[in-house]
Amino acid sequence: MTTLLIAAAKAPVIDYKGISPLFAVAGGAVIVLMAALIRGRFAQRVLVPFLTVGALGAAIGLSIWNWHTGDSRPIVEGALAIDPLALGLSLLFYITGLATVAFAWRSRALRESGTGEFFGLMLGSIAGMTILGSAENLITLFVGIELLSIPLYVMCASDVRRETSLESGLKYLVIGSVGSATLLYGLALIYGATGHTGFAEINNAIGNSVNLTDPLLLTGIALAAAGLAFKASVAPFHAWTPDVYEGAPTPVTAFMAVATKTAAFAVILRFFLEALVSAQEQWAPALAALAVITIIVGNVGAIAQNSLKRMLAWSGVAQAGYMLAGVVVGTQLGLQATAFYLAMYLFMNLAAFGVVIARERVSEHGDGLKSLEGLGSASPLLAWPMTIAMLSLAGFPATAGFIGKFYLISAAVDGNWAWLGVMIVVGSMLSLVYYLRVIAVMWMTPLKIELPGRPRRARREVQPVAGWSPEADPRAQPEVLLVTLIMAAATIFFGIVPSPLFHLAHDVGTSISALFS
Amino acid sequence: MSATAWGWLVLAFPLAGTVVISLGWRALPGRMAGWLGSGAILAAFVCAVGATVKLQKLAPHARHASSTLFDYAHSAGINIGMSIYVDPLSLFMALVVSGVSFLIHVYSVSYMTSDRGYSRYFAYLNYFVFSMLLLVLAGNIIILIVGWAGVGMASYILISFWYRRTTATAAGMKAFVMNVIGDVALVLAAFLLWRHAGHHVSFNGIFAGSKQAFGTNNGTLIAACLLLTVGAFAKSAQVPLHTWLPDAMEGPTPVSALIHAATMVTAGVYLIARFHPLYELAPTAADITAGFAAFTLFYAATCALAITDLKRIIAYSTISQIGYMMLGVSTGGYDGGLFHLMTHAFFKALLFMGAGSVIGAMAGIQDIDRMGGFRKSMRFTYVTFVVGALALASFPPMSGWFSKDEILGFDVHRGGYYLVLAIIGFAAALITAFYSFRMVFRVFHGAAVPEAQSLERGELAHGEHLNPMTGEHEDTDVGFPGAEHHIAEREWPMKFAMSILAVLAIIGGIVGIPGVTHWLRNFLDPVFADSKFINTQPTDTSSWIGLVVGAGIALAGITIAYVCYIRQPGTTGRIAARVPALQRLFVNRWYWDELYDALFVRPSATLGNFGRYVVERAFVQGTLVGGATRIVGVGTAIARGLENGYIRAYAVLMLLGFGGLGLYFLLQAAF
Repeated sequence: MTTLLIAAAKAPVIDYKGISPLFAVAGGAVIVLMAALIRGRFAQRVLVPFLTVGALGAAIGLSIWNWHTGDSRPIVEGALAIDPLALGLSLLFYITGLATVAFAWRSRALRESGTGEFFGLMLGSIAGMTILGSAENLITLFVGIELLSIPLYVMCASDVRRETSLESGLKYLVIGSVGSATLLYGLALIYGATGHTGFAEINNAIGNSVNLTDPLLLTGIALAAAGLAFKASVAPFHAWTPDVYEGAPTPVTAFMAVATKTAAFAVILRFFLEALVSAQEQWAPALAALAVITIIVGNVGAIAQNSLKRMLAWSGVAQAGYMLAGVVVGTQLGLQATAFYLAMYLFMNLAAFGVVIARERVSEHGDGLKSLEGLGSASPLLAWPMTIAMLSLAGFPATAGFIGKFYLISAAVDGNWAWLGVMIVVGSMLSLVYYLRVIAVMWMTPLKIELPGRPRRARREVQPVAGWSPEADPRAQPEVLLVTLIMAAATIFFGIVPSPLFHLAHDVGTSISALFS
Repeated sequence: MSATAWGWLVLAFPLAGTVVISLGWRALPGRMAGWLGSGAILAAFVCAVGATVKLQKLAPHARHASSTLFDYAHSAGINIGMSIYVDPLSLFMALVVSGVSFLIHVYSVSYMTSDRGYSRYFAYLNYFVFSMLLLVLAGNIIILIVGWAGVGMASYILISFWYRRTTATAAGMKAFVMNVIGDVALVLAAFLLWRHAGHHVSFNGIFAGSKQAFGTNNGTLIAACLLLTVGAFAKSAQVPLHTWLPDAMEGPTPVSALIHAATMVTAGVYLIARFHPLYELAPTAADITAGFAAFTLFYAATCALAITDLKRIIAYSTISQIGYMMLGVSTGGYDGGLFHLMTHAFFKALLFMGAGSVIGAMAGIQDIDRMGGFRKSMRFTYVTFVVGALALASFPPMSGWFSKDEILGFDVHRGGYYLVLAIIGFAAALITAFYSFRMVFRVFHGAAVPEAQSLERGELAHGEHLNPMTGEHEDTDVGFPGAEHHIAEREWPMKFAMSILAVLAIIGGIVGIPGVTHWLRNFLDPVFADSKFINTQPTDTSSWIGLVVGAGIALAGITIAYVCYIRQPGTTGRIAARVPALQRLFVNRWYWDELYDALFVRPSATLGNFGRYVVERAFVQGTLVGGATRIVGVGTAIARGLENGYIRAYAVLMLLGFGGLGLYFLLQAAF
C-alpha cells in the first residue's frame, strides 16, 4: 500500500489535453493494426484507411485545440512540451500522413505488406515525429528519432517482392543505424559535459558550469550535429538519400521527403536553438559551412538525373541546405522563416510526388523523366501541378516557394548572414537547370495521336504519352489527382496570399522566447 | 447628373466597348463588333454633349470641376487620385475626339469588312479612343501621362495592325521609339514641376505653385516647358521628332485618319494649350516652340510637294497643319490654334477617307503616279475630296480659311518675331494650296487609268495583293489586309461618314467668323481668362484683311496647280529637271531619316553588334557561362561518381564529413 502511494506521488504529472494528439496517432496505430485483423475486402480497402484518416484527423483537431502562443508548456514533467513550434510542425506531419494515405491507397506496396501493417507503421512513425517535435530533453529526443526511424526502415522495404525496395530498406537501416549511433554518442557526451539531459538545463550549464571551449561538449555537439544532419540529409551525410528515395515505394518516398525532413528540422531547431543557443558562436559557422556544401552538392547532383525520384531526392538535399541557413541565423526571424519554408516545402513536394505517383503507375518509363513526355497536352490536370511545383521549388514569384525563399533570405540578411542569402540565390539559379527541364519535357513535345472524345466534346489530338493506356487518364486515380491539385492550389494560393501562414509562422517564432528577436 | 458624372461616362463607354469586343469577339457575328464599337463612341459623344450642356449653365468663372474616383497612387509625399478635370478646353477636345472618332468608326465598319482582324481592329480603336479621352479629361498630370502612354500604345498597335507586314511592324516600332522620347520628356517635365513648384500634381496646383515659385523666364521653368514641348513634338510629329508620322501610314487608312490626322497627333497642341500659364511665364520657351513650329509647317509643306505616295502626302500635310496649330497655341493665339485643330480634324479625316476610297479603287496601290481620271467613276469621292482639299487650301468660305487665317492674323498683330513666323506661314499656305490640288488633279483629272476605266464599267479592280511599299506578295489571312477592297460609292456607312465630314469641313468655320460669331472664343474664354493675351486680339477689320490675303494666296496656289497639271501638264517635270538638287531634297524629305540613321541608328547598331559578338558571344557565353557550365558539369560528374550505390562508400563519406565537423569543433576547443 505504502509503496503504491509513494509510486503515485512520484508518478509524473501528465497534461492529458496537451498530450492528446500523440495519443490520437499512437492509439490510432494500435487500432489500425487490430482492425486489419478483420479479413475481407471492405475492411482492408476501406475500413483501415478510413481509421488511419480518422486518427490523423483527430490529431489535427486536437492540435488546433491545443494551439496557444508564447513559451512552451510542459506536458510530461520535463520530457515533452507543447508550443506553437511543436504543434505547427505536427500539423505538417499529419497533413503529410493524410496525403500518404491517398498516395498509397492503390499502391502495390500496400497490397504486398498488408494494409494494417503499412498504415500502422506510418502512424507509429508519425507518433515518433510528434514526440520529436515536442522533445524537451535528450532522452525523448532519441526515443523520438528511433520511433520515427524504425517503422520507416520497414516501410521502405514494404514492396517486399521488388529488389530495389528491399535494397532501399536495408541501406536505410544500415546507414540509419550509423547515424543514430553517432547521434547517441553525441548526446551522451553532451550529458557527460553538462551533467543534464533537459534542454533548458543544458543551456543554463553551458557558459556557467561548463566552459564554452570544453572539448567534451564540443565533440558532443559535433557528433550530434552529424547525426541530425544525417536525418535531414544534409551533405556530406546525404549519400543515402538518392538511393533510398529511388528504391522505396513512391508513397513512402513522398512521406520521407516531407514528413521526415520536417521532423528532422523540428528537432534541429529545438536542439540547437533551445539547448545549445548559448554556444551559437561555436556551432553557427559549422552549420553554415554544412548549409553551403548542401546547397551546392544538392543542386549540382540533381542536374543530369533522369529518374524523377532521384532528382527530387537531390532537390530535397538542396532544399535542406536552404532551411539550414534559417537555423544558422539563430534569431526568431530565422526560426519563423524555417518553419514557414517547411510548410511551403510540404505543398510543393507533395504536388510533385503526386504527379510522379500518378505517372509511374501507367508509364512504361516508371519514374523516369520520359514518363512526363507530352503530359502537357495529354493530361494538363497533371502537367499543371507539376509545373507549379517545379516553379515553386525553383522559387518563382507568385508561388509559395518564392515567398519561402524570400523569407529565408531576409532572415539571413537580417541576422548578419547576408552571404548565406547569396548562396541561397546562387543555389536557386543552379536549380533552374533541372526544374525547368521537367517543365520543358512536359510541354515542349509535339502532338500526335487522337484520343477518343468524351461525349459532346471534340476529339483531342494528343501526343502519346509513353505507355499510354486508358488508365493514363489522371481521372483513373482521383484520390492522387485530388491531393495533387489541392497541393498545387495551395502552392499558388500561399504564393499570392501568404499572410495567414505568416501569422502562424509568427506564432511559431514566439515558441522560443529566449531567441534574439 | 453633374458635369463630372457625364465626364466619367464619356470614359466608361469606350472602355466598355474595348472590353466587350476583346472578350466577346467570338460571339459577335458579322459587322457586330464594328457597330458595337461605333455605338460606344457615339454614347461617349452624347455624354460629352451632356457634360457641355451642364457646364454651360454655370457662370463663366465657375466652369470647371474635378472629380476623383479612387486613389491611383498614395505614397509618402504624393497623393495621386484617379481624377478627371472638366472644363471647356477638355470638353472641347472630348467633343472633337469622340465626334470624329464616331464617324471614322462608322467608316471603318465598311472599310475593314473583309479584314480577318475585324474585331481586333475595333477593340484597338475603342481602346485608342478611351486613352485619348483619358488624356484630355485627365485631372492631374500623372493621369494625363497615363492617357498619353495609352495613346502611344494604341498608335503602335494600330500602325502594326497588319502585323505580318514587315514594313508595318518596323513603322510601328519607329513610332513607338520616337513617342517614348516624348514620354520620357513629359515625365521629366512632370517631375521638375512637382519638385520645384510646390509638390502639386493637379493642373491648377501646378500653375499656382509655378507662379509662386518661379519668376518670369526662370531657368527651371524654361527647362520644364521645353521638356513639355519635346513631349508635345514627339506626339504631334513636329521637327525634329516628326519622322515617324509618314511611316505610320502603314496602318489601315481609317487609322491614319483617326489617330495620325484628326486626334492623337493633336494631343501636343492640347498639352501646350493646357499648360499655357507656364508658357506665358516662360516666354523664351514659347518662342522656341513657335520657331520650331514655323519651321515644321514650312518644311513639311515642301515635302508634300514632291512625294508621290497619296497617304504620305496627306501625312506631311498633317505635320504642316499641326505646325500651324502649334504656332497658334505657343504664341498666345489659343482660340485660333484650337479652332484650327477642330477644322483640321474635319477636313483631314475627310481627305484620308477619300484617299482610302481611291486606294480601294486602285486595289491597294497608293502611288499617285499610277492614278488619274477617277473624276467620272468616283463622283462622290471626287466631290468630297475636293471639299477637303479646298478646306486644306483655306479657300473661302471653307472652315480652314477661317481657322488658319485666325492664327496668322493673330501673329501679324503681335508683330516683330511673330510677324516673321506669320510670313513663313503665309508662304507655306501657298505651297499648301498647290499640293492640295496637285492631289486632286493628279488623282481625279487627266486620262483615266485602267482601274478607273474598269470602275466606269462597274467593276472594282482586283489587283494582286502586294505590299505597296516593297511590292512583296501577301496573302489575305489575318495579319495582312483582307481580300476585298471597299469604295465609298458602294458602301453607305462610308458615304455617311464622309458626307457629314464634308458638311462640317464646309461650314465648320461658322463658330469663329470675325465680327459675326465668336462662339468658340466665348466657349473657351473661361479657360484662357488668365492669359495675358486675352485682350491682344486683332480688330475685326484687320482680321478680314488677313482673310482676304489668305483667300488670295489660296486662289494663287490653286491656279498654279491648275496651270501645272491641267493646262500645261509636264510643267512640274521641267521645273524639277531645272533644279534637280531641290527636287532630290524634297523627295528625300530633307534627308532627316538619313541623318537619324547616321547619328543614332548606325552607332547603336555598331554598339549592339559589338555587344553581341564580342561581349556576349566571346566573353559572356564563352568565358563566363561556358566556364560556369563546365564547373557545374564537373561537379555533377563527381557527385554522380560518389553515388555508386555501395554502403561502404557512403559510410566513408559520412566519416569524412564527421571528421571535418569534429576537427572544426576540436580546433575551437584548442583555441
